[in-house]
Amino acid sequence: MTFVRLDSAEDKISDRAVAPQGPSKGRARRRPLGGPRWVGWAFVLPGLIGLAVFIVIPQLASLILGFSNSTLLGGTQFTGTENFLRLLRDPQFLNSVVVTAIFVLIYVPANIAISMAMALWLKTRLAGRNWLRVIFLIPALSPMVANAAVFRLLFQQDGVVNQALTGIGLRPIPWLSDGNWALAIVIGVSVWQSFGYNMIVLGAGIDSISPDVIAASRIDGAGRIRRFFSITMPLVSPALFFTTVLTVIGAWQTFAQAYVITGGGPGNSTMTIMLYLYQTAFTNNQLGYASAIATVLFVIIAIFTLFQLWGQRKWVHYD
Amino acid sequence: MKSRLAHTRSRGRVGASIVVAGVLALGLAACSGGSSSSSGLDGNTLKMYTWIGGKADKQQWSDYIAGGKHADPKMAVSFTGPPIGDYYTKLPTVMKGSSAPCLVTFQNGRVNQYVQGLEPLDALAKKNKLDLSVYSSAMLEQLSVDGKLYSIPFNAGPTVMFYNKKIFKDAGVAEPTNSWTTDDFIAAAKATTKDGVYGFAIPQGSNPISTLMAADGYPWADKNGARFDDPHFREALQLLVDLSNKYKVAKPLEAAAGGTFPDIDAFSTGQSAMEMQGLWDLQHEQQALGKDNVGIAVIPSKSGTSKGFIGGSGFGITKTCGDKQKAFKAIEAMTSKDGLEFVTKSQASVPARLDALGAWSTNAGSAEFATVIKQMTGDAVPSPVPSNQAQIDTLLTQYEVNAFSGKSTVAEVLQQVKAGLAQ
Repeated sequence: MTFVRLDSAEDKISDRAVAPQGPSKGRARRRPLGGPRWVGWAFVLPGLIGLAVFIVIPQLASLILGFSNSTLLGGTQFTGTENFLRLLRDPQFLNSVVVTAIFVLIYVPANIAISMAMALWLKTRLAGRNWLRVIFLIPALSPMVANAAVFRLLFQQDGVVNQALTGIGLRPIPWLSDGNWALAIVIGVSVWQSFGYNMIVLGAGIDSISPDVIAASRIDGAGRIRRFFSITMPLVSPALFFTTVLTVIGAWQTFAQAYVITGGGPGNSTMTIMLYLYQTAFTNNQLGYASAIATVLFVIIAIFTLFQLWGQRKWVHYD
Repeated sequence: MKSRLAHTRSRGRVGASIVVAGVLALGLAACSGGSSSSSGLDGNTLKMYTWIGGKADKQQWSDYIAGGKHADPKMAVSFTGPPIGDYYTKLPTVMKGSSAPCLVTFQNGRVNQYVQGLEPLDALAKKNKLDLSVYSSAMLEQLSVDGKLYSIPFNAGPTVMFYNKKIFKDAGVAEPTNSWTTDDFIAAAKATTKDGVYGFAIPQGSNPISTLMAADGYPWADKNGARFDDPHFREALQLLVDLSNKYKVAKPLEAAAGGTFPDIDAFSTGQSAMEMQGLWDLQHEQQALGKDNVGIAVIPSKSGTSKGFIGGSGFGITKTCGDKQKAFKAIEAMTSKDGLEFVTKSQASVPARLDALGAWSTNAGSAEFATVIKQMTGDAVPSPVPSNQAQIDTLLTQYEVNAFSGKSTVAEVLQQVKAGLAQ
């Protein structure tokens, strides 16, 4: 897998491959393959319709609804910024932000560290490593709801895990009765479910490193640790950046694990922002307030993503 | 040249604007519902949206439709829907959508939250001369909001105590009588708790609280909502916590997703001797444990004169239904004496009409069961269903776990639920 910096990709494509030489360069840039303009639109239109119907319109509708008092079956009244001001003094929402932030802080580093470790391990001359890659990817391919339901059975009071602990003379742990343990289960299941995908992406990044570079570093006397930090990490940094951005976005949006395993409890110890949004919209029937939560979540994710995009210049190497 | 280029750009903008407007219109059209003479019908067939969790639910609805056809051969109803855990979440979206059904169903009288999308049925009942006195008055009250009836009941689901006869016999415990007390219940639960089997399985949410309160004659809610400040509310939740923590006759509740029934799972797999559930669960338990192995008793009360808590299910008509008269005739057929008696041949759920109870006793239940049901439905505590019932259940399910783990007292849990509702 080769990662190309997006802002330089256009130049490379137009300069080397597509743009013809000569005075008609400007016109050819717009229509590099020739033919009437509508052909281009015809290719773009299906995607554009999908984008508009499933992304743009719902997001605009959600943004507008955030400024209203709206229910699923009732009317809609414009309430200005009331919903957003209410969010600032809603302890349930503020708690959900804290819970989700804790989730992000633990889940993202754990996911990336385990994915990287597994990718490096599977880079070694291990027998059946391709099979192992498939096995580790299976949790990412299976439905989250099914995985979460199985984990619920494992960790309930008299589940397999506590029976095993009792069997070796330890006390059972209140996995689903204690808030801290419940959050740990939700994080653990999430990492287990998703590290396989990141492992494949990072593994592809590691595989793309030229053996000559590694050989040269060995000749120069670099040990394993030095090679990892000075050769592997810089060269795999585009893949690492890609997985980190997607993992952070997914972490802020986590829903199914808490919904299926704990329902947000005990108390509100596993109440993530998305779960609170869902309950507000579909259990409490407050569509306007839920839309305000969605807008705030969008802003939080946008800030984190922009921060990562800004920060990549300092640690991501594309050459 | 310049003006031609500008003209081309302008046309391009117009074209792009038309495309964007078209896409927006398409999206808005997809989102909006409407009403016409064919809304909610597929030809002559009325569309019904209901809960379908598996084969048993499918069979149940097929049987009610067959019962309706038995009473009125012209009636035609088709049905779709998700499992009960998702039903009430999806219902408003479906009622608002462009393909809204004509008929919807409600369990435990939960119409309050959906009345904005429902047709009041009083005028249709009067026009069609439907005698409403044949239904339990407590049930009709539950299915009404602000004096308007929104749903006609088809089954009466009083909550009763299910017990496993074999476990009782093996433990040498006498089967419950219809005058047993809370102390008798605790004693029976203690005696049947052994060898990994608990005496009782605690249900989640508000239903066990409302049932225990009703047994002693206290409604759990009034027109202002759930009565969290009523000391009997606190006592009912405290009893549930004590069954686990003090008497050690039940598993403590753990964090769980809403719409799950760990108590039913425990009882139907023989891991608990008793469960407190609506009679809708009878057929499932009989299939799991054997028809002769499942007994039912009234809910234990302090005095021994238990009153019932009714959670009847009913059919409603959506406001967008294109042919409300046809929909009402279908409901009338499915809830007629003939129709409900027909259903008792294959379903154990108790008919909502008192005049069909005899057929149920013969076909699905027994004289012993009929005695329990008559006591539970005949002397039921009228109890309105709060419009925020779903929110109350969600919050109770989340916070009551803390009372079982000892992290909070029952009073603190109720305060936390109240605070959650106030947001």
